[in-house]
Amino acid sequence: MTATQTTPQQRRGRVGRPFAGRSLNEIGLIAAIVVLYVVLGSTAAGFLSLDNQLGMLRDAATVGIAAWGVTLVIIAGEIDISIGPAVAFSSVLVAKGAAEWGLGIGPAILLTLAAGAAWGALAGWLRARFDVPSFIATLGIWSALGGLGLYLTDALPVVLPESGLMNTLGGSILGIPTPAIIMVVLFFVFAYVARYTGYGRSVYAVGGNAPAARMAGINLARVRVLLFATTGLLSAITGVLLAARLGSGNGGAASGLEFDVIAAVVIGGTALAGGRGTMLGTLLGVGFITVISNGLVLLGVNSFLQNVVRGVIIVAAVLVNVVITKRARATRET
Amino acid sequence: MAADVASGSTVIVVDGVTKHYPGVRALTDAHLSIRAGEIRALLGRNGAGKSTLIRVLSGVERPDAGTVTVAGEAFGDGGVRRAAELGINTVHQELSLVAELSVAENLYLGRWPRRGGAVDYATMRAGAADVFGRLGLDIDPDAPVGSLSLASRQLVEICRAVREQPRLLILDEPTSALAAAEVDVVLETVTRIASAGVAVLYVSHRLEEIRRISHSATVMRDGRIVDTVDVGDADTGTIVSLMLGDTARAAERPPERNVDRDGTPLLSVRGLAVPPKVLDVSFDLHAGEVLGIGGLMGSGRTEVLRALAGFDPAAHGTISVEGREIAHPSAAVMKRLGIGMTPEDRKDEGVVPLLGVDENLVLSKFSTVSSGPTVRPGRVRKAAERLIERLSIATASARTPIVNLSGGNQQKAVIGRWLHAGSRILLLDEPTRGVDVQAKAEIYRLVRELADGGAAIVFVSGELEELPLVCDRVLTLREGRVAAELTGADLTTDSVLSAAMAA
Repeated sequence: MTATQTTPQQRRGRVGRPFAGRSLNEIGLIAAIVVLYVVLGSTAAGFLSLDNQLGMLRDAATVGIAAWGVTLVIIAGEIDISIGPAVAFSSVLVAKGAAEWGLGIGPAILLTLAAGAAWGALAGWLRARFDVPSFIATLGIWSALGGLGLYLTDALPVVLPESGLMNTLGGSILGIPTPAIIMVVLFFVFAYVARYTGYGRSVYAVGGNAPAARMAGINLARVRVLLFATTGLLSAITGVLLAARLGSGNGGAASGLEFDVIAAVVIGGTALAGGRGTMLGTLLGVGFITVISNGLVLLGVNSFLQNVVRGVIIVAAVLVNVVITKRARATRET
Repeated sequence: MAADVASGSTVIVVDGVTKHYPGVRALTDAHLSIRAGEIRALLGRNGAGKSTLIRVLSGVERPDAGTVTVAGEAFGDGGVRRAAELGINTVHQELSLVAELSVAENLYLGRWPRRGGAVDYATMRAGAADVFGRLGLDIDPDAPVGSLSLASRQLVEICRAVREQPRLLILDEPTSALAAAEVDVVLETVTRIASAGVAVLYVSHRLEEIRRISHSATVMRDGRIVDTVDVGDADTGTIVSLMLGDTARAAERPPERNVDRDGTPLLSVRGLAVPPKVLDVSFDLHAGEVLGIGGLMGSGRTEVLRALAGFDPAAHGTISVEGREIAHPSAAVMKRLGIGMTPEDRKDEGVVPLLGVDENLVLSKFSTVSSGPTVRPGRVRKAAERLIERLSIATASARTPIVNLSGGNQQKAVIGRWLHAGSRILLLDEPTRGVDVQAKAEIYRLVRELADGGAAIVFVSGELEELPLVCDRVLTLREGRVAAELTGADLTTDSVLSAAMAA
C-alpha cells in the first residue's frame, strides 16, 4: 500500500476552499456600501449628519429584525412572505390590547408576541404536516392578517396610551434608537444559533439535502415549525416597536416590508434554493438596502421613481452575486 | 491483495433468508457468512437480488423467513435501529451528504457533538482528523463537501460509516460514479478498513476491482445465491456464466440484418472526449444500422450521447454528419441535422406528464402542425394519430395525459417525438429501463423497424444482455474508451458482458 493517498482532485478540493465566492460577496457588499457612503456623503445634503445616521439605524431595524429569521427560513429552502401584514397586525394588536381591552402595556406586548409565534407555528405546521408550500401558507397569513388588521381598526390608527415602556421602545437609550439596539442583540443571537446550535446546523442540512437530513435522524417537522414560529415572533417584535415609534397601531403600516426583507436576505448571498447563506451577509444586505432607500429620499428622487431605481439595484446586486457564485463553483470543479 | 483472513471470527451469518414481494421472488433461501477483516464481493445482474439482500441486512426490510446473526447476537425483527446497534453500516449508492456543510459536520450529520449547548466544532474536527488519519486520507475537515471531488465525497461517505465503528460495512457500488484514477484511493481505503478487523460486503460490477481487494465473490442470480467463488481462480467467463445462468444466455438473437456499410456513414465520431467520463470514443454509424453501446454504470455511455446531441461540449474529437464535420455542435444545430436523443430518465427528462400524448409527440417541432404562429389542434391530432398508429402506442385517445400510459408506451411516444421532427439519427439512452418484458420486446421490434426504414440508431443500455437482441453491432465502453467491438457471430450475451467487466 502506498504511504499517501492524496489524489490531485483532493488537493484541488483543498485549494478551492471555503466558498471563495461567498466571502467575495460579503467583501463586495462592504465595498458597495462604502461607495454609497462616499457618493451620498458628497451629493446628498445631510446624509452624514448624526440625525440621519441614527434615523437609518432605526429604519434598518424595521427590516433587519425580521430578516434574521427569514434568513434561516430561506436557508432551509422555504420562504415567508407574511412579514408586512404580520407587522401591521401586531402593531394593531398591541395598541388594541393596551388601549381598548385594558390589558396594560406589558401583557399586551406579551399577548402580541405569543400570537406572532402562534400564527408562525401554524404556517410551519401546514408546511410540515400537510406539505402546503410555504409560499402559500404564508400568503394565507399575509392576506388574513392584512385583512384582520384593517377590519379591527376600520383602517384607522389606534392610539397607544402613554407609557414609559413604550416611550423607551420607540425612543433611544443613550442616544441610540432602541429598535437598533434590539436588532443588534438579536443579530448576535441568530448568528450564534445559525452557527453553534444543533438546530441551526439542522436548518442548513435540511435546506442543503432534505433526504440526507431525514436519514441522519433530523426531525424535519420540528425544524420547519420552529422556523416559521420564529419569523412570526420577530414580526410581532417589529410590530410592537413600530407601534411604539408611531404612538399607534396601524393596520395599513409596513406595506411591502416583506419584499425589502427578502431582498436584503438574497442580496446578502443567501440562496433561494436553500442550503447556503450567512447572517453577516444578511446584515450587509440590510445595510445596503437601508442606505439606498435613505439616499434616494435625500436626493429628492420622485417617490414613484424611487421604486424603479430600487428594483433595478436589487436585481443587479443579486445578479452580481449569482455570477460570482457560479464562477467560484466553476473554478472549483475544473 | 487482502490480508489473510482465515483467522478472523465470523461477523455475520445469513441463514435461509427469504423475502418475497407480491409477484416477485426477490430473495430466496440466502446463506452467507463473512469473517472479520474479510472483503466479500457481491456480484449479480440488475434484479438478481443484491439490493434486497442489502436492504434486509441494513434493517430496511424484514425477511419473510430465515435469520441473520451478527457476532453471535440474533438480528431479530430489529429494523434500522437494531442494525445500527449491532454495528451494520451501509453506504448506499446515492450520496447522502449536504454539500454546503463542512466535511466534519457531514461526518456527524444530525449527531453533532455539543459542549455547553453549543455545537463543538473542535471535537468534530478532531474526530474527523482521527478517522482520516487512521485511513491515511488527506481531506480537510473544514472544507465544504461541495468543494470536494466526487471521489473525496465518496470517501467522506465511507468515513461517516467508519466513524460509527461498524462490524460490517456494506458498500453498494462505491466506485460506479468515479473515473478510473479516483478508484484507487477508494479501494485502498476499503482495504485499510478491512485490515482493522471490519467485515466488508462490497457490491461492484468491476471484476478488476474485485480481484484487487478481495479473495472471494458471492454471485447472485434470480434472487438466489448461486455460488461463492475464489476470484483468483475463477476466470471472467466462469463468473459471467454464473451471473447469467442458462436462460439468459439462451435468449434468441434475431436474424442478421443486412446493413450497407460502404457509403458515407450518416454519423461519424472520431476521438470524442468529454472528461472525466469519456476519454476516447470513435465509431461510424450507417443508415439502417442499430449500434449498441454498452458498459457498466459510469463507463461514459450517457455522456457520449449527450455530446452527440449537442447538450455537452466535447473537449476533443470531431463529429461528422453525412461526411460533413460539425464545427460547433449545439443542441439546436444537432436537432436541425436530424439527431434526436431520448433520455434515460423518462419521467424527469422525457415526458411532460400532464400534457396529452398528442402534445408530447409534437413538442419537437411545431412548424408542421401550425399555420403561421398558430398551432392547429386538428393538425396536431392528425400528426399524433399517425404516430400512435405507426408505433402502436396503446392509449385511450390522442389527448390522454401521457402520465396515464404504461412506461413502455411512454417510451414509444418519446421516440415518436423525434420521428415527428423528422430525425434520421436516433440516440436512445436506456430505452427499456423500467418497462416490462413484453414492452421491451415491442421496443426492440420498433427499433429494428425504424432501422429497416433507413434510420440510424444508437441503442445505449446498461442491461448488457439485451444488446445482442436488438443491435447489429455493439461497442462496449470501459472507463471512457471503446473496449471491444462485437458483431456477427461474436456478438453474444457472454461476450458483451465479459468485455464490459474484464480487467
